[in-house]
Amino acid sequence: MRLGEGFVHFLRAAYARAYVRIVGSFREPVWLISDAVLPAVGMCAFVLLYRALGAPASFEALAVLGGILSAFWINVLWGMGTQLYWEKQQGQLQLYFVSPVSRMAILTGMAVGGVLATTLRSVAGILLGFGVLGVRVPAFDVGLLAVVFLVSMAALYALGMILSSAFLLFGREAWHVSNALQEPVYFMSGLYFPLRTLGAAAWALAGIVPLGLGVDAMRQVLLGEAAHGLAPVPVETAILAGMAVILLIVARLMLAHLENLSKREGRLAQRWQ
Amino acid sequence: MRVLAARLRTAAWLGWQIESNWAAPFLFVVYAVLRPLAMALILAGMYWAVAPQAARREAFIGFYVANAFHVYITQVMVGLGWVVVEEREDYETLKYVYTSPMGMLTYLAGRSTVRLVLATLSMLLALGVGWFALGLRWDWTQVAWGPFALAYALGLIACVYLGFLVAGAAMLLPRVAITLNESLTVAFYLLCGVIFPIDLLPVGLRQLALVMPFTYWYEALRRFLLGHGASRQLSAWPDATLMAVLAATTVAFAAISHWGYLAMERHARRLGRLDQTTLF
Repeated sequence: MRLGEGFVHFLRAAYARAYVRIVGSFREPVWLISDAVLPAVGMCAFVLLYRALGAPASFEALAVLGGILSAFWINVLWGMGTQLYWEKQQGQLQLYFVSPVSRMAILTGMAVGGVLATTLRSVAGILLGFGVLGVRVPAFDVGLLAVVFLVSMAALYALGMILSSAFLLFGREAWHVSNALQEPVYFMSGLYFPLRTLGAAAWALAGIVPLGLGVDAMRQVLLGEAAHGLAPVPVETAILAGMAVILLIVARLMLAHLENLSKREGRLAQRWQ
Repeated sequence: MRVLAARLRTAAWLGWQIESNWAAPFLFVVYAVLRPLAMALILAGMYWAVAPQAARREAFIGFYVANAFHVYITQVMVGLGWVVVEEREDYETLKYVYTSPMGMLTYLAGRSTVRLVLATLSMLLALGVGWFALGLRWDWTQVAWGPFALAYALGLIACVYLGFLVAGAAMLLPRVAITLNESLTVAFYLLCGVIFPIDLLPVGLRQLALVMPFTYWYEALRRFLLGHGASRQLSAWPDATLMAVLAATTVAFAAISHWGYLAMERHARRLGRLDQTTLF
């Protein structure tokens, strides 16, 4: 297969997987509640906590943005990280591996589809936060917000690809690990408070999960000084872009390594162990 | 009585094996405390962030304490819904448990004991971290031990009984059980004023909050442990009134839950949903 043909093949496979992700997610209306409404409802509690503490209004906006972005982390965990594990449980993982397409194309399709589907669902958070709770933000640069968002998502979903490969090895632990990674990452990423609050530890935490820097940069675009940012937006965006590249390379290497390892150890098609 | 105790013990032992045998004991303990601990740290982070501009320390300690106790809702009440989901969807053993002489209700009660122990550990850890690491302290001489113990016990009873109701709903609604469990966790967090006073809830939700026993539970725990509540509306109530309403709502919900569980279990069986798997 020539390089050009290979690339087209890659894109087609990614498109096919993204299509399933987007269309499939809207075929189960109940999932809309868990993926879109629940993170937004949780966010309301945090906004009301700020209100109860008498915090400036900018903190409420900060919590709303965190709540909206928490849906993306949930999607990375359950839609990317555990996806190959779900496929294993359904007995479909073998089909992925025998199909004549790149595994990275499948993961790319899952990531792109996940970002698009979650973005559509984040409307629930926007409605609750800005509509029902009456939180307001000053005028902001939409273009810059879109750039920061896309770079953040690239880094975040590249991490999701790594998790996806790692979960190939997991049995029942996959569910528990995903469960255990939810709130700790909210904390490490400063989803509901400025990351700078954590002092020197903030940079260390931001270096582990790209969500932290992404949230911080987006908050600065929306709120300016009131976001209490960790570093200037261009610096955070550049770091995020670097992280995206590195994480994608690691994901590629890990997928190949862990696929071989799970085949050798006989775990690739093993269910409920 | 001895037979019942043996059944409860067996269910608890089985529950422990199911909950914990996927990991080494140390790893399991870390897993069990990680989420509640992270929630506590998120609250602390929020408080640190606004402390220079908005110092309502006493109120925040009240929210932190209630958040620590909220683990009983997630682990015990909603946890019983997860028991049904796991037994039916993951292990496909619900039908065997159902047909065993133990009885589902006894089995669920037994499973709840393990979850009560785990929730207690998480709650103590969250309070310990608050006290020692975050400096969120209160005056022990202000603690009204008798009412506090009574309120604590009433809340646990409410958790277990409402857990039966959640388990019944999970039996009846296989396809949406997972979403239902997740929704209840978040809904109770918002509705019962765990981390903010219910006075801030919009009209409609506030009235709904006043029907829930947990609203009074959190308020009573705060009042009897710290010496102050959170809600302006409930602060006007004397201690005896608060306890009486907590007891009345707990008894009412326990009765509704017991009846509701049995009705939903019967209905689920009639519809053939007891062993209906929907995931894999």
